[in-house]
Amino acid sequence: MKTPTETTTRLRRQTRARPKAHPHDHLLRTDRMPHIWCPGCGIGTVFGCLLTAIEKSGLPLDDIAIVSGIGCTGRMAGYLNLDSFHTTHGRAIPFATGLKLARPQGTVLVASGDGDLFAIGGNHFIHAARRNIDLTVICVNNLNYGMTGGQVAPSTPFGARTTTTPVGNIEEPFNFCSLAAECGATYVARWTSLHARWLTDSLVEAMTKKGFSYVEVLAPCPTTFGRRNRLGSGADLARFFHERSVIRNGIDPREAVLDFEKHLVVGKFVDSTRPTFLDNYELVRRREVGEWPFREEHTPHTSGRAHN
Amino acid sequence: MERWHYHALQEAIDSSTLLVQGNRACALGALDAGVRFFAGYPITPSSEIMETMAYELPRVGGVFLQMEDEIASICACIGAALTGTLAMTATSGPGFSLMQEAIGYATMVEAPLVIVNVMRVGPSTGRPTAPSQGDVMQARWGTHGDHPAVVLAASNVADMYRLTMAAVRFAQRFRTPAILLADEVVGHMRESFSTELIGRYRLTSGDFDFTPSYVHPEMVREVHPPHVLGSKTHPHVTGLMHDETGFPTDDPAKSDQFLRQLHDKIGNHRDELCLYDVKNEGKGRVCIVAYGSCARSARAALRLAEQEGLPVEVLHLYTLFPLPVEIIQEVARRVEFMLVPELNLGQYAREIRKMAENWTTVISMGKVDGTLLTPREIVDRVAELIGKYESV
Repeated sequence: MKTPTETTTRLRRQTRARPKAHPHDHLLRTDRMPHIWCPGCGIGTVFGCLLTAIEKSGLPLDDIAIVSGIGCTGRMAGYLNLDSFHTTHGRAIPFATGLKLARPQGTVLVASGDGDLFAIGGNHFIHAARRNIDLTVICVNNLNYGMTGGQVAPSTPFGARTTTTPVGNIEEPFNFCSLAAECGATYVARWTSLHARWLTDSLVEAMTKKGFSYVEVLAPCPTTFGRRNRLGSGADLARFFHERSVIRNGIDPREAVLDFEKHLVVGKFVDSTRPTFLDNYELVRRREVGEWPFREEHTPHTSGRAHN
Repeated sequence: MERWHYHALQEAIDSSTLLVQGNRACALGALDAGVRFFAGYPITPSSEIMETMAYELPRVGGVFLQMEDEIASICACIGAALTGTLAMTATSGPGFSLMQEAIGYATMVEAPLVIVNVMRVGPSTGRPTAPSQGDVMQARWGTHGDHPAVVLAASNVADMYRLTMAAVRFAQRFRTPAILLADEVVGHMRESFSTELIGRYRLTSGDFDFTPSYVHPEMVREVHPPHVLGSKTHPHVTGLMHDETGFPTDDPAKSDQFLRQLHDKIGNHRDELCLYDVKNEGKGRVCIVAYGSCARSARAALRLAEQEGLPVEVLHLYTLFPLPVEIIQEVARRVEFMLVPELNLGQYAREIRKMAENWTTVISMGKVDGTLLTPREIVDRVAELIGKYESV
């Protein structure tokens, strides 16, 4: 019987002898590998789903730009072989707004973490959703600030331990999906990183949809979050999320709560349509917005929560 | 390109708007220089720039957007700038403070954009409708890290038009953010304004090239290749220290080279960047070095001094940074005093002292009460200096 070391060596040799290209290699900046993400991290899965979704969407690759903020998820942009834009902390959405409005023919993705998008960048998120800028925002929610060593985030559950809540978090977290819907997002979905097929389908829908789309992914962070809360390895955490998740498509996002003791509600909550900022900007260009409050063809502001 | 077919200034004049406000002149200058993206946030005393843009930009195919704060405004401008669109934002002190991080980012990723700061009395909320020049050093050193800066200062309504154009030109040519400073009084002042006046002052010949990846031929070796998003080359743009490929690097040699190149592309072109005007050249024992609204007082003080037989010359600086070392030292060699009137407590006088103290005595004349320095005050100080010298 061979020792594990021998087996590994043999495997390595085999790999070297027959190098296989990853099916997504053309979408990756392979020269930037290996990536910086920890073993067990959920971002890799989300990234994989994103690559599949980009292919499935059929959108021309030259017209897709990915914008990210700062943090672990923020590093996604640097590994994608697209127009990629690694910005300052919390500001991915305003950068993406400038990019989209100055070059409307492009598809602009924003990929960032919960801290970047909802703490330092929270104001930008709510206003971009309100304006209905045609962006697809992907939030990898790992329940803490991973890159800086595991501090409390606006997503950290009540009671959870982080480096800045050493005896437990005393703040209630946001329900990001509800927030997005209230602000007027036209597509809102949440999955865990183990819902790869659903997640991929949601990403395709979000990317091809006109309007502000928000896809949240609950992803394990074993290194800085799981360890302090004794939740085991990345696989244990991912399983923990998946086992407790319940799919409730079309539910009122306010009821789509993340209750780690009972159940984590996932699914597609909002898929609606209303004019984007650029649609309405055409009215400004043509000086056809009309007189407020007596517009002749009054189109009421449709709430983002019109289901399906 | 068709972008040039619109002449905002001409239209303003044709519609017999002969009395133009400084802030409006700034916006007209930006439109005529080809600015087609503006994102801003309301703040006194700069709001009229944004209001003019809100009206004019949609008419010329540009995009105007009022953002949720100044941080978002400048970030949106950088996003637009990296698609090859000329972008501008305008603000005042408090908003300028919020923009600092992104100014560093724009410098790092070499995004051309123009930031106008119509200065109020600070610090903090200060006096929003009173003039000041308190943000001079912030414009130079506001963002963290060693970075170059291009900072211009406008002294009247015509300046607001032509220096905005110059700022656009510099931003584009050197692929860097360019900052235009104006005092509250310059922004809010209304003056008669004509094409002839502008023609006389015109700094920019209109030979702009607006193609997205444009780099001036002479600059190719110094400016890193522009990474234009949407150009099918799949560039990567990051605020991390990167090399010419755009990808992050921790290599000490490459970091060093990158930062030095950022500085050199500005520092090596002071001859082009440093705009100034010398009045009564070589005839003064005292040189009044001034910029912004104070330069206007200094020019008036020169006429007063001539009547009173005081030997004065005036160095009017339009470019504050990069430092106009050559002209400062040239003047310093021939005068006994350099008097620096400014609406702060000697921010720029310190810079001049560093450059000129080997040859002359640099006297700071600061005022921070929110009123302008009058020509009389300046002349009295000149007389005092000369009198003091005579008695020694």
